[in-house]
Amino acid sequence: MADVSLHGLAKSFGPVDILRDINLTVDDGEFVVFVGPSGCGKSTLLRIIAGLEPVSTGEIRIGGRRVNELPPADRKIAMVFQSYALYPHMSVYKNMAFGLKFAKTDKAEVDRRVRQAAEILKLSALLDRKPRELSGGQRQRVAIGRAIVRNPSVFLFDEPLSNLDAALRVNTRIEIAKLHQELGATMIYVTHDQVEAMTLASKIVVLNHGRIEQIGAPLDLYRRPCNLFVAGFIGSPRMNFIKGEVQAVSGRRLSLRFAGAEIDIEYLGTALKVGDSVTIGVRPEHMAEPGNGTIALDGQVDAVERLGEASYVYMKLETGDDVIVRASGDVEVATGSRYTAHLAPKTIHVFDASGCSIQVEVRPVEGF
Amino acid sequence: MTTSLESTFPLEVATARSRFPIHVAVFLTPALLIYSVFSIYPLVDTIRLSLYASDQTGAQHFVGLVNFQTLLTDPAWSVHFWNALRNNLIFFAIHMVVQNGIGLGLAMLLSLPRLTGGNIYRTLIFLPTMLSVVIIGFVWQLILNPLWGIAPNLLKAVGLGSLFGPWLGQESTALITISLISVWQFVGIPMMLIYAALINIPDDLLDAATVDGAGPFSIFWFVRLPLILPTLGVVSILTFVANFNAFDLIYAVKGALAGPNFSTDILGTFFYRTFFGYQLQVGSPTMGATVATAMLIIILMGVLIYLFGVQRRLQRQMF
Amino acid sequence: MNRPIRPSRILVHLALILYTVIALGPILLILLNAFKTRRAIFADPLGFPDARTFTTIGFDQVFAKSDFGLYFLNSLTVTVVSLGLIVLIGAMAAWALTEYRFRGNTIIGLYLAIGIMVPIRLGSVSILRMMVELNLVNTLTALILVYVAQGLPLAVLILGEFIQQIPRELRDAARCDGVSEYRIFGSIILPLIQPAIATVAVFTMVPIWNDLWFPLILSPGDGKQTITLGVQQFIGQYVTDWNAVLASLTLAIAPILVLYLLFSRYLVRGLTAGAVK
Repeated sequence: MADVSLHGLAKSFGPVDILRDINLTVDDGEFVVFVGPSGCGKSTLLRIIAGLEPVSTGEIRIGGRRVNELPPADRKIAMVFQSYALYPHMSVYKNMAFGLKFAKTDKAEVDRRVRQAAEILKLSALLDRKPRELSGGQRQRVAIGRAIVRNPSVFLFDEPLSNLDAALRVNTRIEIAKLHQELGATMIYVTHDQVEAMTLASKIVVLNHGRIEQIGAPLDLYRRPCNLFVAGFIGSPRMNFIKGEVQAVSGRRLSLRFAGAEIDIEYLGTALKVGDSVTIGVRPEHMAEPGNGTIALDGQVDAVERLGEASYVYMKLETGDDVIVRASGDVEVATGSRYTAHLAPKTIHVFDASGCSIQVEVRPVEGF
Repeated sequence: MTTSLESTFPLEVATARSRFPIHVAVFLTPALLIYSVFSIYPLVDTIRLSLYASDQTGAQHFVGLVNFQTLLTDPAWSVHFWNALRNNLIFFAIHMVVQNGIGLGLAMLLSLPRLTGGNIYRTLIFLPTMLSVVIIGFVWQLILNPLWGIAPNLLKAVGLGSLFGPWLGQESTALITISLISVWQFVGIPMMLIYAALINIPDDLLDAATVDGAGPFSIFWFVRLPLILPTLGVVSILTFVANFNAFDLIYAVKGALAGPNFSTDILGTFFYRTFFGYQLQVGSPTMGATVATAMLIIILMGVLIYLFGVQRRLQRQMF
Repeated sequence: MNRPIRPSRILVHLALILYTVIALGPILLILLNAFKTRRAIFADPLGFPDARTFTTIGFDQVFAKSDFGLYFLNSLTVTVVSLGLIVLIGAMAAWALTEYRFRGNTIIGLYLAIGIMVPIRLGSVSILRMMVELNLVNTLTALILVYVAQGLPLAVLILGEFIQQIPRELRDAARCDGVSEYRIFGSIILPLIQPAIATVAVFTMVPIWNDLWFPLILSPGDGKQTITLGVQQFIGQYVTDWNAVLASLTLAIAPILVLYLLFSRYLVRGLTAGAVK
């Protein structure tokens, strides 16, 4: 088992920067998820750790050892590809044993490891099949099995669930979480799906435009996003954003005006002055129930989605801002009618004009 | 065949397997007619003719397999037949090894990731296949002509001047030279087909093999080669059919007599001579048909070996 | 990205350039020398024609002694008419075989497949006999009929695969509107298969244009020669006149060269699109 650390990593193709100044430490046994929109560089980052792409600058360490110059096979990693990348002309058994052939493992040991992995993944009955004779879920398990037999220090997953249908995706997600428990290995997992990220990760790394936006535990990112991008990316439905303006500043207290309401909050005390515009973020589930000190926001209902356990009310506030409210499943509201959202000041997030949170401190990233 | 307007409606089309709607007949007839009359009928009729012989009056009568017996055993025929067959096998062997070997090599180079100018190389190397075999034959005849002296001078320039000889004129080298001219012209075809197969292999698969610890040679041997085997099979059978049906190049370069001393005679030229005659021998449609039928049998054997012996084992992989 | 140029890549390019030179050299040599005087052809075969050595005497002789323009027109007629018929008739058959399920569908498909593997050339004895009986010897019609029969099977295969990829909804929508099957073929399918025509053209036009065999046995004279046969006959006659030989070869090569370089993108795409399965 091993930790992985990246120091000052950058990657560019010609004039295009794919990744910039990536610093990150993945502890031994941790399950880290790289998440971000497509094109954010997360897959490239994973391929760099695997050794499939060279870096332009920076250092990669696995288990404390610099591996920049090592070929993938010598990095003690194993990778599960989005397309599974099973060798179509080899049986399941041979697919799993293929990598061991080059590691000069003796036959009995190869056999033991393949059968053991097959046992874990319930593939024992399928060892003689060819990949094309397997279902999508089975292929997925073979791809994982091929990684397991290599007994790697670090598992790398590149969007492994994106080719599965919704039901299978949930099952396999749970299987992967269990596998992590059993093996206790370091795992790095790339996805664009924030639900996968939230459910699997012990630590999430949010990437955007080749930069790390924020690193943290799932709930930490959910509760304390450090900028507009993370706030908008994590959570579904998306956080509501409402334009606001600074009314008064006094030390660490701030008075804000938005959507016809006014509230006082505490903030980090950065350079904000009266008249600065800010963005207020509120999650849909923090806007339904009236309570102590809540602010009422009136608006017109555009649409209602009833999911059973909850209803999403799409409404337009007097000020023209569109918001989504997660109300109870049986809330009495109809399209075109008036509705009042209730917002607790404690739950709001405030971002300055540059999109940075004025409440969450951006910690210097670990390792530096 | 009864049909009505209703049969053109979707429900009917999906279910009317048992009926034969008139529009299907309209769509199929022109193709089936031309194809049957000018392709299948002549082939069948050629086989029939091979069982007949003509007498002095020109009348034809059924003789069974006598023509084949003549072809295979009568020294006046069999010497030429076996010679042509042997030459044709050499012609084919040289194509398989040299043409498909170079084609594979070029395809490997062209499929390297992020190769600059790959498209230009492919276009230019494929160019000779576009030209007529006849033209190519003359081009090389001129280049190899000792009178012009281009080939010997070029060889001298690289210090191999002593190797030059009238390659097309010597019995010992004419067939090999002609084969290599044909190889030169058609390398582009295996190159393109194999290239297409190689770039169809997903990059992920090669990455997976790299992570698995396979080096470039192992990746070729254990991953890429097995995956392009079906294409190599197709290339082989295409080469086989084309080679056992070849005629133009040898006719253009060496004439119907395929000299010197029949050393470049292959089945195609032998067929032509048998059918149309040459010098003192008169042509014989029935013996021509016999040679054609023999060629047909040889090609069919090759195709059958491919279909049942090779293709079945080389299942096309879906990615 | 500051990727250093790997020495192995330089070797790859060297190998590819070397082979490209081998592939093009002989052709360029012919084109180059066709415009030189006889003396220059022999004295400096690798040199470019200059003011002193430039001449078109070879071309003058070719045009004076043979009917190149006519042969070219013959080839063009045969190729274009054959291709047109192959595409139209082939598309009709491919449409029928892929769209409609009827008894005999598979058998007809297999029947057509014979023509892909077995060269029609082997039926020449009977073809010639038939053309004699039909009084079609030394006509372009004979060539066109044979070439259409030769090209149809592969065209049906390629077009069939292509038609299968046209979304079903398109035809079903038309049927719901009450459009007849003929109209569906004519106004929906035919316009949509245009990309596949390029592929069919690669596999049928080139062999037709370049063929020597059928012109040789079916229309060897009467001014019905194709360009390939014309060049072959001309060179056989004037084999010692180097200027004329080189000029006639150039005349045969040049149009193909121009067409190829213009359309190579489509052609190469057609070839690598996996048309041969």
